[in-house]
Amino acid sequence: MNLNEFPLIALAAIACWGLGSLLQIPARKSKAFQVSSWLLLLSGTSVLVVFLASYWIALERPPLRTLGETRLWYATLIPVVGFLVEYRWKIKWLKYYCLGLATFFLGINLAYPDVFEKALMPALQSVWFIPHVVVYLVAYVMLAASSVSGWHNVLLNFRSKRSTVSESMSHYLALLGFVLLTFGLVFGALWAKEAWGHYWTWDPKETWAFISWLAYLGYLHLVARKTDPRSLQWYLGLAFIVLLVCWFGVNYLPSAQNSVHTYSG
Amino acid sequence: MQSSNNPVQAGPPSGGFTKPAVFTIAAILAGFAIELLTSGSGITVPGWPFNFYFLALLSITIAVVGLKFREQPLVSWLGGIPVGLSLIIGLAVLSLVGGVVPQDPAQPGSLASLLRLNGMFSSWPFAFVTLLFLFNLGLSFVWKTVPFRVANLQFILFHGGFWIALSCGLLGTSDLQRLVIPLYEGQESSVAYEMPSEKPVRVPYSIYLKEFVINEYVPQLALYDPADDKVIADKSNMLPEAKKGVKAEWSGIATVTVLDYLPSAILDDKGNPAPALHKKGVSVVKVRVVEDGKSYDEWISDGGPDVKPRFIPVGKYFLVMKAGPPKAFRSDVMIKGIDGERRTELLEVNKPVDFRGWKLYQMGYDEKAGRWSTMSLVEAVHDPWLPAVYCGFFMIMAGNLLYFWKGVKKMEAA
Repeated sequence: MNLNEFPLIALAAIACWGLGSLLQIPARKSKAFQVSSWLLLLSGTSVLVVFLASYWIALERPPLRTLGETRLWYATLIPVVGFLVEYRWKIKWLKYYCLGLATFFLGINLAYPDVFEKALMPALQSVWFIPHVVVYLVAYVMLAASSVSGWHNVLLNFRSKRSTVSESMSHYLALLGFVLLTFGLVFGALWAKEAWGHYWTWDPKETWAFISWLAYLGYLHLVARKTDPRSLQWYLGLAFIVLLVCWFGVNYLPSAQNSVHTYSG
Repeated sequence: MQSSNNPVQAGPPSGGFTKPAVFTIAAILAGFAIELLTSGSGITVPGWPFNFYFLALLSITIAVVGLKFREQPLVSWLGGIPVGLSLIIGLAVLSLVGGVVPQDPAQPGSLASLLRLNGMFSSWPFAFVTLLFLFNLGLSFVWKTVPFRVANLQFILFHGGFWIALSCGLLGTSDLQRLVIPLYEGQESSVAYEMPSEKPVRVPYSIYLKEFVINEYVPQLALYDPADDKVIADKSNMLPEAKKGVKAEWSGIATVTVLDYLPSAILDDKGNPAPALHKKGVSVVKVRVVEDGKSYDEWISDGGPDVKPRFIPVGKYFLVMKAGPPKAFRSDVMIKGIDGERRTELLEVNKPVDFRGWKLYQMGYDEKAGRWSTMSLVEAVHDPWLPAVYCGFFMIMAGNLLYFWKGVKKMEAA
């Protein structure tokens, strides 16, 4: 499959997720609806998994080069986090945020279609390419989920309906996200040494990756200092903005003119 | 879930934030004051062995202060989380400035230049905050290491690794040499250039370039519209590859089938190809065009430095060939040490070669000449601090793995 089929695939995934979400209402009382709902929700993601796999084959390279391609991975992975959280913590609402985010990212890709391009510049043809980008993507997915969960907790606190389970979930998502962020950062440094001659050059993308890492490092130290978890929900909600700048915003900054990462635009 | 299971619990704070924040801001302001007074000259890290002496002195001071004066309120404050957090925020804010303001030469006398916002990572405020952060990080490392407990291993590895990577990475910048060696086919050179000054430097080895080769992706076919100066994609919304057997259709205009593809050939006056060596020839493709029921076969080419491109008029358009971007480029070289050691190596992007403490990288080529380039740019890097920095990286990763494992265990227990 290539990008010609993408609109159909994206709409199919969104339709499955939408219908699956609607069926969650009667699913509370009926096992049959529950099974149908989950089948639809999982089908939406499976459609994207199949598309990613066949797109990878058609491209003859990992579809991890352009921002559009990373959004596609993101849209595929973030609902999985919502599903796993429901399985682990029995928290149902996170998956709707995740599905909403995934739909939003698919929408961006539909509005700004990528160009089918097989070429992969020599510097990206490295054993580090897949681990570096995939680890970062999963980290971003975890931290996005932690961020939306943080905002949800802020709302719950406003309504005096504080949930420690939900706070616990945002924390563990942030913790796992930070671990992956650290691996992504170090993998990137090791790759940079092999490809560009030095492990750290304060390239704007590197600088922003460092800032986002520091932001979550700050969060973990606030936790260690036993800061009120209610304040930390604000922190988690806002910290993701730094990641978004690192992911998308950097390309638009004046400092990015000579960045080695502008290929990913 | 019981609230006691909540990993993020409120508790008595271990110290206020006001003083650490003032401390960090004072360090930043002092740094900017020095920059203003010196017109943004920045800080120059001393070279070997003085950077090593500095590192040794810093390490010993931290160890002595941490172990001997641990109970002193000032010391415990300096190594505490509030100071660490303030310095983390300070580092993040300074990095943010460096991540927004272009880190290039700025107009002399401008605010960016006077405060060295355009060279943030070699500025005094950045140096002060980093030094204080290393002190804070070092103290916490010492306290968790002495006495040693296995339970603290994750903390020790992560914090120790970060300390080593940060200190050695920054102090090692003065000993880092990154040089560019231009090589020409059939010639040998031991002259490198410092960038961007282009100051020549003689390296303790020479490199003979036997051959430089570029492999390109398969060219693509495109229909060029001269009226609108744009390329029209085919029915599948893609530029078809010029591979043998590929069929492309431009609805209502023409259908094109690729009959043959020669990556390197020379076309004679009649447009017939003869195979040629890689750097002598150009890419050529034989296509069958079906247009308005008529069918004809032709050779087309994207041309080269001495060969004009060859294309076919199709109605008001032209069927052209678009060269593929570089897939790989490599230099076949012979490296000779000053003692006569000779090594034949293939330099390729992402595959640097080690030679006596230097890493040699395939960096670039004459981009105007493209695949016909006979010049190769090799980057030579000498970084004696690299093993220490890598030791820090691997400690961070080991600590990170333990953190992940502990986090998952806590999550399971929660």
